[in-house]
Amino acid sequence: MAMGRNSRRIMGLTGHYAGLIAFAIFTAFPLWWAASVGLSTNPENMYSFPRSFWPTEPGLLWFAKVFTDMPFLTYLKNSTIMAVMTVVGVVIVSVLAGYPLARLKFVGSKTIFVIIILTMMLPSEVAMIPNFITMKHLHLINEYLGATVINFSAAFGIFLMKQAFEMVPQDLIDAARVDGATEMQILWRIMVPVSAPSIAALGIFTLVNAWNDYLWPSIILTSREKLPLAVGVFNDLTGPFATSDSMVMAAIVMTVIPVLVFFAFTQRYFVSGMDGAVK
Amino acid sequence: MASVTLKGIKKSYTKDVTVIKGVDLQIKDGEFVVFVGPSGCGKSTLLRMIAGLEDITEGELMIGDALANDVHASKRGIAMVFQSYALYPHMSVYDNMAFSLKLAGADKAEIDKRVQRAAEILQITHLLERKPKALSGGQRQRVAIGRAIVREPQVFLFDEPLSNLDASLRLNMRVELSKLHADLKTTMIYVTHDQVEAMTLADRIVVFNAGVVQQVGSPLEMYENPANLFVAGFLGSPKMNLLEAQLVGVENGLAVVRLPKGITVRAAVDASRATAGSKVTLGVRPEHIQLATEGDVGIPARVDLVEHLGDIVLAYVEIPGVNDILAVKLPGHYTNLKRGDAVRLVFPETSALVFDEAGLAFKRTV
Repeated sequence: MAMGRNSRRIMGLTGHYAGLIAFAIFTAFPLWWAASVGLSTNPENMYSFPRSFWPTEPGLLWFAKVFTDMPFLTYLKNSTIMAVMTVVGVVIVSVLAGYPLARLKFVGSKTIFVIIILTMMLPSEVAMIPNFITMKHLHLINEYLGATVINFSAAFGIFLMKQAFEMVPQDLIDAARVDGATEMQILWRIMVPVSAPSIAALGIFTLVNAWNDYLWPSIILTSREKLPLAVGVFNDLTGPFATSDSMVMAAIVMTVIPVLVFFAFTQRYFVSGMDGAVK
Repeated sequence: MASVTLKGIKKSYTKDVTVIKGVDLQIKDGEFVVFVGPSGCGKSTLLRMIAGLEDITEGELMIGDALANDVHASKRGIAMVFQSYALYPHMSVYDNMAFSLKLAGADKAEIDKRVQRAAEILQITHLLERKPKALSGGQRQRVAIGRAIVREPQVFLFDEPLSNLDASLRLNMRVELSKLHADLKTTMIYVTHDQVEAMTLADRIVVFNAGVVQQVGSPLEMYENPANLFVAGFLGSPKMNLLEAQLVGVENGLAVVRLPKGITVRAAVDASRATAGSKVTLGVRPEHIQLATEGDVGIPARVDLVEHLGDIVLAYVEIPGVNDILAVKLPGHYTNLKRGDAVRLVFPETSALVFDEAGLAFKRTV
């Protein structure tokens, strides 16, 4: 009997691991392939499968060329600036909009919330032309702010913060009110610190999206020295005048690495924040 | 320190839903008043109205000599302790206690002095650097009280502060709250649904039911002379035995009532305002019922269940023809009483109470 139970357990675990490993391979293989191609100084096996999954004559040649053949560091700087701007903007807007929707009683609050949520149903491309015209009138074409501001008011962020604020016990707010806190002090000194995991999750989510944002920055940013990585790498290394596919792969790997590193350090917030928000 | 005066206080959420139906109450400076009543009777709502966390629909609230209806919660000179403690989880104990003073712009030395003093009173000085999550329930409760003390309020408000603690800790904290009141001599208003807490802590008890004050008085006065059936049934454990009866006669200072099957009982109350034959309720506390000894006449009854609690014996007995089971509290030496025993009960006339048809008590004559 004991043997039977044991072998069943082993079989069960084997099944779990086999499934998870298969999924990991499925999601990681494009990156693996890109890294393998980028690390091959000799590109002759690039398209011969499965040989290409292992570098041919390994070396950092293409990675070095990314720095010399295109302004990689400029793009990296632009991506960082725009991602940080977006995170700060989204967090501020979501907190300021989520609090009244969650905690203050006023006429029409439910309707306003529904309207905000409805914007999630629209594809973002619908807003591009009106947004472009608006940015033009605000003289924000080819500005970092113009490339990011349209993402500040994110329905998802407002929804996430509203849910987070609703979970804060009423007693805590009452206690702060008796202690003499104003609404703004309650928000910034009690609600925001207490909801830190949700805010962290929102921040990470936003950062990844902003880092990978391609279409809007490619429309609104006209000069090369303002471009973020996603746009810059695509513009410089693909198309009819592309020099080398190997270099594209090296650039892609380097574009992804900062996000991966960031995510590795912050994933516990991401997971714990989503626990309460999405479940 | 300050008195608290409530004049015709009402609270409605909508036109039809009124939860507080006109409360008049005078709480003296330094008094410990306990609001007690079943869940949903409006006692917590009234406390929150005094605190400034709920609007007052109608009536006047005076704290000290000042009208406080429209004064912000933080300006009323009150401090509140919540059932959930409501400690700020991201702040240390010290910062939790100092928060209100920081908001008020007190200087650092003053804040430190007050926090240290409150911590000493509550013996939590060694916990000041910890976060609330590293504290036990009892310690959190102390911090919550400390946060109130630091503000040096004129009135302390407690909203069921002990209900999240286990039984032994609750007993300890109850004693400490009594001591705290004796030391600080500040007006305290305390809400609970636990009548033992009410009886032990209060200078005066206010019994609520369905948004109406049923009776106000000292614990013993309320226990011995409940104004109506609700108060009689609410205070005391086990509850007062309440039996439906008929008033058969009023003699000088005595009411004679008849239970079903022609059993008559005398009670030393003045029932002259009722007419003979009217429906009444006879009330006898479990500890007042005696077992008849040889020679005494008594009401025959049968023991249904016996609980030996060591110091006392609780017997549940049934009188033939009477629907309700009676609780009888007997001294601990009645150890051989058992289920099925036939006993005879005596209701001493000086401790029996009678309530009229509307549920109001007749006045005792002794």
